[in-house]
Amino acid sequence: MSKETKELPGTALSEKDISQKKVLYTEWDPKLMWAWDTGVGYGRYFAELKKGKIIGTRCNKCHRVLLPARAFCEWCFRPVDEWVYLKDTGVVNTFSIAYTDWVARRIKVPQIPALIEVDGSDGVGIMHLLSEVDPENVKIGMKVKAVWKPVKEREGAITDIKYWKPI
Amino acid sequence: MPVDKITLVTQAKPYYGGLSSKYGEALLKTPEPGLYGQYTYGIAGEKFFRNIKDNAKITGAKCQRCNLIYVPPRIYCERCFDALEEWCEVENKGEIYTYTLSWVDLDGARLKEPVIIALVKFDGVYGGLVHRVSEVDVEKVSIGMKVAAVFKRKEQREGSILDIRYFKPV
Repeated sequence: MSKETKELPGTALSEKDISQKKVLYTEWDPKLMWAWDTGVGYGRYFAELKKGKIIGTRCNKCHRVLLPARAFCEWCFRPVDEWVYLKDTGVVNTFSIAYTDWVARRIKVPQIPALIEVDGSDGVGIMHLLSEVDPENVKIGMKVKAVWKPVKEREGAITDIKYWKPI
Repeated sequence: MPVDKITLVTQAKPYYGGLSSKYGEALLKTPEPGLYGQYTYGIAGEKFFRNIKDNAKITGAKCQRCNLIYVPPRIYCERCFDALEEWCEVENKGEIYTYTLSWVDLDGARLKEPVIIALVKFDGVYGGLVHRVSEVDVEKVSIGMKVAAVFKRKEQREGSILDIRYFKPV
C-alpha cells in the first residue's frame, strides 16, 4: 500500500455475512469423484496390511523382490513368480521435514515423510511417515520399524501402518 | 502364474476419493477443504438479485452523463468510467434480440423438445439478459418478438437468475 492510500477500496465481507445470509451468493461444490481398482498385486498387498503383514512379489528372472507387490516385473516385462512375506523393519532411504500439511497450512510439529526400504525387498522403497523421533536425529540409513494401528481400526490401506519409528 | 487373478467384479477392491469438501468429509473422513467455492455478487449484483428475490423486479444502473441504463447493473460506466450510483427499475417486458434452439442438454444428451435460449433486450436499455424462452411454438420464435419475464413464486425465489423461470411471449 502506498503512502497516499489509507484504505483499500471495496466492500469487506466476513464469514458471518455469508453464514447469516446477509449477502446473496452462489455455491460451487463440484462432485469430482473417482474410484481406483487396486488390481491383483496391490489388492493382496492391502489385504495383507489389514492382517498386519507386509507382502511383496518375487521375479525369478532378475531375482528382485518387488514392494509394493506388483503382478508384473517392469524390468523383465514378465509376470512375477511368487508372493514373499517381508519383515516390518527397514532402512530410511531418504526423508524430508514438512512444516505444512497437504493443504499448505502451517503445523508446529513437523511431519517427516520418508522413503523406507523394507528389509528383504529390492525396490526403491515405500513412502511413509517417521515418528517418535526428533527431526534433528533423522538420518539416511537409520533402521526403523513399523508401528501398526490396532487391528479393529485397520481398513486395508497403507495407513494401517501409523508410522515408522527408529530401533 | 501363482498370483491369482481376479475374475469377479465383486472381488475388486476399489479405492474411492474425490475433490469435494462435502464428499471428502463423508468418504475420506478428512475435514480438509475441497474444491468448494462461494461467489458473492458484488454491490450491483447484490442490488439486482435482491430486487429479483424480494420484488420480482429487474434493476438497472443509470449513467447520467452517457444517458444509458445498464442491465444487469454495474457500478462503473463502461464508456465514461464514471461511478454509477443511480438505480432504476426496468419493465419486465423486453424483446428477443437474438435466439438459438438447443437440442442437447448440458451433458450433451439429445432432447425431444428444444430449449430456446435468447438474449432479451429491454426498451431504452443497454445490455440485456440471456435466458430461456418458453410457452411458445418453436417455429414461431422470431427476432423482435415481445416477451415478458415469468417469475417463480416469492417463497421459491432465492436470489438467482433462475428466479425468473423463463420469458414468454406477450
